[in-house]
Amino acid sequence: FQKKPEMYSVELSGTKNIEKTDKGDGKEKHRDLKSKGWNCRRNHQIQEIKEELNLNDHKLSNEDLENKYGTNIVTGLSSARAANLLARDGPNALSPPKETPEVVKFLKQLVGGFSILLWIGAILCWIAYGIQYSNDPSSSLDNVYLGAVLVLVVILTGIFAYYQEAKSTNIMASFGKMIPQQALVIRDAEKKTIPSEQLVVGDIVEIKGGDQIPADIRLLSSQGCKVDNSSLTGESEPQSRSCDFTDDNPLETKNICFYSTTCLEGAATGMVINTGDSTIIGQIASLASGVGNEKTPIAIEIEHFVHIVAGVSVFIGIIFFIITVSIKYPVLDSIIFLIGVIVANVPEGLLATVTVSLSLTAKRMAKKNCLVKNLEAVETLGSTSIICSDKTGTLTQNRMTVAHLWFDNQIFTADTSEEHSNQTFDQSSGTWASLSKIITLCNRAEFKPGQENVPIMKKTVVGDASETALLKFSEVILGDVMEIRKRNRKVAEIPFNSINKFQLSIHEMDDPNDKRFLMVMKGAPERILEKCSTIMINGQEQPLDQSRAKAFYTAYMELGGLGERVLGFCHLYLPADEFPETYSFDVDTMNFPTSNLCFVGLLSMIDPPRSTVPDAVTKCRSAGIKVIMVTGDHPITAKAIARSVGIISAKSETVEDIAKRLNIAMEQVNKWDAKAAVVTGMELKDMSQEQLDELLANHSEIVFARTSPQQKLIIVEGCQRLGAVVAVTGDGVNDSPALKKADIGIAMGIVGSDAAKNAADMVLLDDNFASIVTGVEEGRLIFDNLKKTMAYTLTKNMAMVLPFMLYTIIEFPLPIATVTTLFIDLGTDIIPFIALAYEKAERDIMNRKPRHKNDRLVNKPLVLYSLLNIGVIVTLGAFVVYFTVYAQAGFRPSALIGLRVKWENNDVNDLEDSYGQEWTRYQRQYLEWTGYTAFFVAIVVQQIANLIIRKTRRNSIFHQGLFSNKIIWVGIASQIIIALILSYGLGSVTTLNCTMLRAQYWFMAVPYAILIWVYDEVRKLFIRLYPGGWWDKNMYY
Amino acid sequence: MRRQHRSRRAPTFPHGYRYRLDDQDEANQNYLADEEEEAEEEARVMGVPNGQGQPTGNTWWQKLQLMNEYLWDPEQRMSLARTGQSWSLILVIYFFFYASLAAVITVCMYTLFLTISTYMPTFTERVKPPGVMIRPFAHSLNFNFNVSEPDTWQHYVISLNGFLQGYNDSLQEEMNVDCPPGQYFIQDGNEDEDKKACQFKRSFLKNCSGLEDPTFGYSTGQPCILLKMNRIVGFRPELGDPVKVSCKVQRGDENDIRSINYYPESASFDLRYYPYYGKLTHVNYTSPLVAMHFTDVVKNQVVPVQCQLKGKGIINDVINDHFVGRVIFTLNIET
Repeated sequence: FQKKPEMYSVELSGTKNIEKTDKGDGKEKHRDLKSKGWNCRRNHQIQEIKEELNLNDHKLSNEDLENKYGTNIVTGLSSARAANLLARDGPNALSPPKETPEVVKFLKQLVGGFSILLWIGAILCWIAYGIQYSNDPSSSLDNVYLGAVLVLVVILTGIFAYYQEAKSTNIMASFGKMIPQQALVIRDAEKKTIPSEQLVVGDIVEIKGGDQIPADIRLLSSQGCKVDNSSLTGESEPQSRSCDFTDDNPLETKNICFYSTTCLEGAATGMVINTGDSTIIGQIASLASGVGNEKTPIAIEIEHFVHIVAGVSVFIGIIFFIITVSIKYPVLDSIIFLIGVIVANVPEGLLATVTVSLSLTAKRMAKKNCLVKNLEAVETLGSTSIICSDKTGTLTQNRMTVAHLWFDNQIFTADTSEEHSNQTFDQSSGTWASLSKIITLCNRAEFKPGQENVPIMKKTVVGDASETALLKFSEVILGDVMEIRKRNRKVAEIPFNSINKFQLSIHEMDDPNDKRFLMVMKGAPERILEKCSTIMINGQEQPLDQSRAKAFYTAYMELGGLGERVLGFCHLYLPADEFPETYSFDVDTMNFPTSNLCFVGLLSMIDPPRSTVPDAVTKCRSAGIKVIMVTGDHPITAKAIARSVGIISAKSETVEDIAKRLNIAMEQVNKWDAKAAVVTGMELKDMSQEQLDELLANHSEIVFARTSPQQKLIIVEGCQRLGAVVAVTGDGVNDSPALKKADIGIAMGIVGSDAAKNAADMVLLDDNFASIVTGVEEGRLIFDNLKKTMAYTLTKNMAMVLPFMLYTIIEFPLPIATVTTLFIDLGTDIIPFIALAYEKAERDIMNRKPRHKNDRLVNKPLVLYSLLNIGVIVTLGAFVVYFTVYAQAGFRPSALIGLRVKWENNDVNDLEDSYGQEWTRYQRQYLEWTGYTAFFVAIVVQQIANLIIRKTRRNSIFHQGLFSNKIIWVGIASQIIIALILSYGLGSVTTLNCTMLRAQYWFMAVPYAILIWVYDEVRKLFIRLYPGGWWDKNMYY
Repeated sequence: MRRQHRSRRAPTFPHGYRYRLDDQDEANQNYLADEEEEAEEEARVMGVPNGQGQPTGNTWWQKLQLMNEYLWDPEQRMSLARTGQSWSLILVIYFFFYASLAAVITVCMYTLFLTISTYMPTFTERVKPPGVMIRPFAHSLNFNFNVSEPDTWQHYVISLNGFLQGYNDSLQEEMNVDCPPGQYFIQDGNEDEDKKACQFKRSFLKNCSGLEDPTFGYSTGQPCILLKMNRIVGFRPELGDPVKVSCKVQRGDENDIRSINYYPESASFDLRYYPYYGKLTHVNYTSPLVAMHFTDVVKNQVVPVQCQLKGKGIINDVINDHFVGRVIFTLNIET
């Protein structure tokens, strides 16, 4: 059997190895068995990227390369050939993911959601007119208009939804094209700077420290070149690159640099061997499109709602159609009735307003640094139950900072907050004076000039991470470091290297009378200690005896155990007689002592957590969200950070901790007793799917360390198998499959790659974990508020459908016309819908568990309460007004029953009412319109109460504050104003079926509005009084 | 082994991990209660397909089964996810809710309708200005008949005869009073007192009364058409100026109608028939009529006729309403 290599078994060792070994020895057999567990799962989504691994350019000699790519190492390609290749291969850029054509997007909007129902309604309208026309060519065009209005509604809402979607997509488009990368290329024997997009295979490029690698490059020469491959392999350590072929695996060999990684230092020349999508990173990025994008929870919820409404309206419509036809109604009437039921049932404006609500929240979130690409993701964040977070940059500040100091046998804690303002440890000791001097002098890092007004912590520094940390640390405490260095002129220096593991420099003293030289040294603590014979305690040199050395090791272990990078510091005053002022120090021969030095202290550094993160993690915890850390870092560092931000809480222990505490072997510990777990990438690789599931389900605090970005996908899938809604943060290109797979992928805005941002649903502008939590809060709030909106909408459905039913059964004049229901759906209710999106949380929504997947947006209690409770009151209230209008005009309710046929007969122009008055058809028609208007106004008035009660679902309105949400009042005002305009402004436009209504009818429904309010307060009171009781279960939505 | 762990630490599979999270919030207890119950329910639901060994797949058959189980679950004795007890409870609650709601609404309606008089309509502006209707009327305002074929006009005669039964002189004299003409017949007193009605005798219609000519002129090609103004409670034409009727050709040659006789000859509705006090108290009120006797109309041709009311406070040109203050009909008398 030929085992097909797959992306995710590549890891760091590469598939090439597996492939090779598979053919021959059975050594890899067990490895196969282990990877089998993964296979079944990978197959469905991971494409092979075998081609990528056929890459063998790293094995070729320079000559072979020249032949293969038809280039010359010295003169480069000719411009003409480059142009040809560019035309053949396309630009050297990752092609953006395939977009759905705009027309398809638009058409989808036209048939999605309720649109189908409305199309049916419109077609029925025209059919009805057809029937009418065939009977009587002079019949009115009302049905044609109604059909046209319905189609118009569909098209307008379609355009609106399309526009909203396009707008949120544009946010991303405007998100900033990265400044075009430039590449230094040799063409026609000349060095040229060209946009890296124009690179082609065979180009000879030069790179230097700080550059982004413009394509996959086979190195031809290198001067101390180091690259950061973290975005590809997850390894955060810089890796040196040379032109030697060191490994069969292209990912491992030293002579290849990969597209989108960065060159940290040194310089190199290389030949482009892959460009654009055929680069390794390009192939991984294209994997992301192979990973299915799952439906967002809110999309599922809205679909559910549409299904309910459509189901109900079709059900009622069909049932009543059958009934009306079977009791010998004319088919025309039945069809018109069917239209009425459909239109009354469908909340036409709702879906558009849901989009508005979501985009409002998206805007609010953007202000809080969460840029949402996909509107529906707004809510997804709220239902998140697991967050898989990166460490570096997201949880931490992404800069080394001095965290602890050890001198005078004491550990001091330094301030690691972002401002770094007050260092409160004891600085009076003489030891500190010496230590600070070493820190200041034995340091090659410098501030970039021209930053006088920038706060110290924000200044840009030339130098590596630890030196930067030390420089800033000393600058904060001592003031102008550069000045101190100037006063202590450096006479000799040995920079840090990995063999010595120390850094040394020799300085003149700043006291002009002191002719001695000061030699300062820092480096790996154990190496430094080896060179020392004394130790400084309280400013005095003391012999370094056993007990002092022991104290040193204790401190060293302790600081190392905190996951911190520890440096040791020592110094020596070179006596003036042996080393006169004119002494010439030679760093190569080391003509100065490097032993019997005086040990001064230890300093430890860490990339400290962002100060807002612990709070945010606590919030997540109380919100029932599990935070999993996934990092490429060392487990100890990862665990230390996890502890300090609370991902592993203070009380919980890992298996190792328990073993250590009980002093037993790790195998003896019942692993379920450990709440926390630190799992490394290696362990993860050896786990079966079941083991991973078990791990994820049974440990509440998990840290994955030393993982590759690929393993993130495995973790995400594991979480999703548990039924969790998973949010994943990521920045590298390699993260994009995981970002895509996650329910909500969160890309880092600052350090994130474009591919990651493309695959993500959300972009975190400040890279801060705490911003995710505020996003979660917003997401939960919008879910609650949409629930309120749905409840609000459904209520009036009853008041719009019931009249149609009673009209057929009891046969009184039609209480509300189809067109009038549209005024409610598309007029008075629009702003209130949106207003509810502004409603504040009823109580701490972050103290709640994440939403259950079957905790529906529109659930049974919501439907029952809205339709059968409030909806019935609204309907009855509206009917009271309707009957009053008719009674006061002359038709008492008793006269109305069964009146429909005569009432609608155009030939009856002297219909007698309850008082013996006679009505022409048009007078009746006008009265009917007045009835519509009254019914409409009654619904509007009661919808005001309905709107107010929907502000809360559990608390009293007075507790929430009647005026807490000003937009609600805007909504109420809009309802009243629209109703006033329809009645008084447009009352004379007959096609709108509205009339000027007597003033008192406006107030007729007020008692029922009050009744609604009182009833709802009572409902909420019972819910609060008996939480968990019958009432709560059935009446709380 | 794994199963055991799960049951101990994470009771239900998909949401198991949630139970590992500490719950410090007492206010959330009911959420938890909900959740637990849902989880139980879920476990039950999930248990069934597991038992049959077909946990995956979404075939129609399985959907149908699930639906069927939803409708009636014999194991739990539940229908629509409710047990009998739960159903009866919710039905009782809703019964009481609707009963009290009905009571509230009934009280509201009752008190509201106490304020609405049964004798006088509260507002009459919708029914004003008065509409007009003609007799005979049978679904159509087009009078097509052939003088020589009685079958074509017989139904008009029957209709008119039937309509005029209430105007028979004997009946009018018996039921109604002969009140002085030319002035309103105002009857003060409580609105619930019975009101007297003025006589409008069939004989006032002379040639169109059907007394002398039982065919109302249809047999001679001189049809009678009665015009009736719609009743409106309290309607009073301007004093001293009774509402008049006048007919003419609506479109076309005015000479198509050479003469019309009106009965009563004034061609007006006498003031004594106003005001109308409503059907409850003004029981025997008979609407006054004006008969139009088309004595000389062009034959064998469609003649559109418009009869209008004329008088102060009368509107006869509402565009949308062809029956307010006017009536339009066609005569096509074939010989």
